[in-house]
Amino acid sequence: MAFLLRRLGFYVAAFIAAASFNFLIPRLMPGNPIDTMFAQAGTALPPESLDALKRTFGFLDEPLPLQYLHYLGSVFTWDLGLSVKFYPLTVNQVLVRALPWTLLLVATSSLSAFAVGSLAGAQAAWKRGGGFDSVGAPAALVLQAVPPLVTSLLALYLFAISLKWLPTGFAWDPMIDLDWSWQSVWSVLYHAVLPVTTLALAQIGGYLVTMRNSMINLLGEDYITLGQAKGLTERRLRLAYAAYNALLPALTSFAMSLGAVFGGSLVTEVVFNYPGLGYTLYEGITSRDYPLIQGQLLIMTLAMLSANFIADLLYILVDPRLRRA
Amino acid sequence: MIKAIIAFLLVGLLPARALAEADLTIVASLSTGWVRNFNPFNETTRLHSVRDFVYEPLVVFNAMHGGTPDFRLATDFNYSGNLLQLSFKLRDGVEWSDGHAFSARDVVFTFNMLRAHRELDSQNIWDRISAVEAPDADTVLFTLKRVNSNIAFEIVRVPIVPEHVWSKVADPVTFTNDNPVGSGPMTEIRRFTSQIYQQCRNPHYWDTQHLKVDCLNFPQVGTNEQLLTAAAAGTIDWFGAFLPDIERTYVATDPNHHRYWFPPGGTVAININFDSPDPSNRAAFRNVNFRRAVSMAIDRGAIVDIAGYGYPVVNEYASGLGRTYLGWVDAEAEKEFGAYAHFDKDAARALLAESGFRDRDGRGFVANPDGRPISFTILAPNGWTDWVNTTELVAESLNQIGIHASVSTPEPAAWTQKLISGSYDMAINGYLTGETPYRSFDMGFHSRFSGKTRFAATRFVDPELDQALDAFISTIDPAAQRQAMNKVQMILASNMPYVPLYSNPIWYEYSTKRFKGWFNGDNPVARPDVFDGTPERLLHLLALEPVAP
Repeated sequence: MAFLLRRLGFYVAAFIAAASFNFLIPRLMPGNPIDTMFAQAGTALPPESLDALKRTFGFLDEPLPLQYLHYLGSVFTWDLGLSVKFYPLTVNQVLVRALPWTLLLVATSSLSAFAVGSLAGAQAAWKRGGGFDSVGAPAALVLQAVPPLVTSLLALYLFAISLKWLPTGFAWDPMIDLDWSWQSVWSVLYHAVLPVTTLALAQIGGYLVTMRNSMINLLGEDYITLGQAKGLTERRLRLAYAAYNALLPALTSFAMSLGAVFGGSLVTEVVFNYPGLGYTLYEGITSRDYPLIQGQLLIMTLAMLSANFIADLLYILVDPRLRRA
Repeated sequence: MIKAIIAFLLVGLLPARALAEADLTIVASLSTGWVRNFNPFNETTRLHSVRDFVYEPLVVFNAMHGGTPDFRLATDFNYSGNLLQLSFKLRDGVEWSDGHAFSARDVVFTFNMLRAHRELDSQNIWDRISAVEAPDADTVLFTLKRVNSNIAFEIVRVPIVPEHVWSKVADPVTFTNDNPVGSGPMTEIRRFTSQIYQQCRNPHYWDTQHLKVDCLNFPQVGTNEQLLTAAAAGTIDWFGAFLPDIERTYVATDPNHHRYWFPPGGTVAININFDSPDPSNRAAFRNVNFRRAVSMAIDRGAIVDIAGYGYPVVNEYASGLGRTYLGWVDAEAEKEFGAYAHFDKDAARALLAESGFRDRDGRGFVANPDGRPISFTILAPNGWTDWVNTTELVAESLNQIGIHASVSTPEPAAWTQKLISGSYDMAINGYLTGETPYRSFDMGFHSRFSGKTRFAATRFVDPELDQALDAFISTIDPAAQRQAMNKVQMILASNMPYVPLYSNPIWYEYSTKRFKGWFNGDNPVARPDVFDGTPERLLHLLALEPVAP
């Protein structure tokens, strides 16, 4: 219990620190949203018009400390204001619009990569030095080392442009209105194949290696030998004895990647024109949409901290030694 | 029996044909997801299909042909004898898309709304007009604060909205106008999702005889790469984009239908900051011979071929006027100073040497005559590949004549901010086009804009230049206008506050698969691009008709 409270205190402090940086960082970037928008329009707005516009978007020329207080207030009431880039939508609406797609994209790919990677890693460790271990493991590593940009562009070119098996962009067929019909669900799945697969491919290698390494260490332990001596089935020994205990490090990196889910996957979303959070954040940054950047970073911070917290809880479940601490 | 089958088949086929609509698919702006905002006054997030297509202009002035008027909602306009009043005669029988009659009251209402809400008046037009009245239902009378022969061009850029709708709007600044009532050809929003929206025919449109297109589709496209992917697949009819090696990447994907035409547009130039924050760079930049040497060091033809894939047209006019405004060129200014806008590396070196810019420490780079070193970066917006490559070639050329220059590529937002705030040495920049060269010269070099917009970034000011620019709009006499424009060119050519490189192409690609009547080199009716800010796109839309199936 003390362990939990200690962790919780740490997370609250971390959140406040992150929220403060979140306030400062966009303001340290050169350029501001209103100037950036008008620069391209080629119009010279008189100062009073500019001021009126700034008021509309809630940019007040008040001293920085006062702005900070207002900002903190908005963080705790979760009223993040209007987005400049996606006006008239509020920041909350913009984020809610992108969130489901990112969840679908990154959660599916992370989960499948975790499952496939960990199982394959367990297999490789069990038969270490065998055929799969000497070919599959390095191959997975190579795949992971290739930047996602390259994999996704290659996949786009091969399957969408050359072979025309899969769509080149969008989250669903633009010509249909999205609802819960089979047609819509099919369309969403069809459009998710390429982005999900390329994202998953990039992650499998990591899980595979983490799992393999920690399991090889465990396989030398006495309780494995004991299990063998007791005549347990190989399958039981491999999964319930070795893999289960080797899961700890893999679980940490999985929790971290779940936190990163809310950051979206910028490259994949850009390449496949997929309307997720990463793309939204990128747009916010290029147009200096302070409210949107803040909102998105806030969500990422919260998600990261919660994911870590959940990982802490899982540790307690998986590792009985911590329960006593 | 056979007859019955044939009849059945015919009945089955005929309605399908009648129902087939002429849908034109357009990409007029890049977006990561459409947001419903059809407020034509919103400068920041309005959809780029609102102006011209939903709200028809009074007049479309054809910038490609010296600003000749194509009358739309107005049928005529006239200046009063003392040039202080301008009246527009409105077209009879025009209706809004909800069936209400269009009248002079709508125009008066719109302008008075801009006066009441300054943030909607993005051109600050009330700085130049003092009253708008409707003497009768078909006439609008503008009273000017001072003589301004350019004002007609500026007035027609204001979209006219219906009084019977907008007078009930509580706050026109934040209004998003979800279901617009307009006067243009395409007012009905039939579908709207974040991935695509569809804008269809106005049931009460006045010019139906020219309107052969039923609906406009606007698919959401996020980047140039996605645009190229979609265009190469043949799904887009009309768009504008810089596509590298277009013959191979776009035309070759459907050689029978995929076409492009890149007529010259606004000038692209290297801006030299007269108020550079660095004192020794500033000293060099304020020396006209240094600026001329910079200009002569640059091989514009090579830049066009290498960085621009041959699309732009070189701009070798000392005034920077460019091929876009061929009819306005002042031969005298070019005779006297034109050599400074042509590539001549040896002359550039000689000019530096005779002006005292010499290499003092043997490192190969010249210093100021008083010995202070010269070293600067040239800014180019990150990701604008043609401009970045151009700037890199410029820096290389400068290094070759002994000027220590390098390239820096801040993000577009930071580039803009530095141009406005003046914290830069040199930067690549582009100018807008207009009905006459006045617009780009005025925005670039009139002292009232200096340091306030990204266009007026050189901070070069000259009272005589202001006078000449003001003289240009204080008359409607063509001879006096030409004289004033010649003076403007002479001042710019002799001072060379910027280094013109080329006329940026007007980006315009199209497919002849589904529609015909496109503007192109053989049919140069008007500026052909589909971007917001080119009102001629309305004329272009009305010139299109579906190809017979």
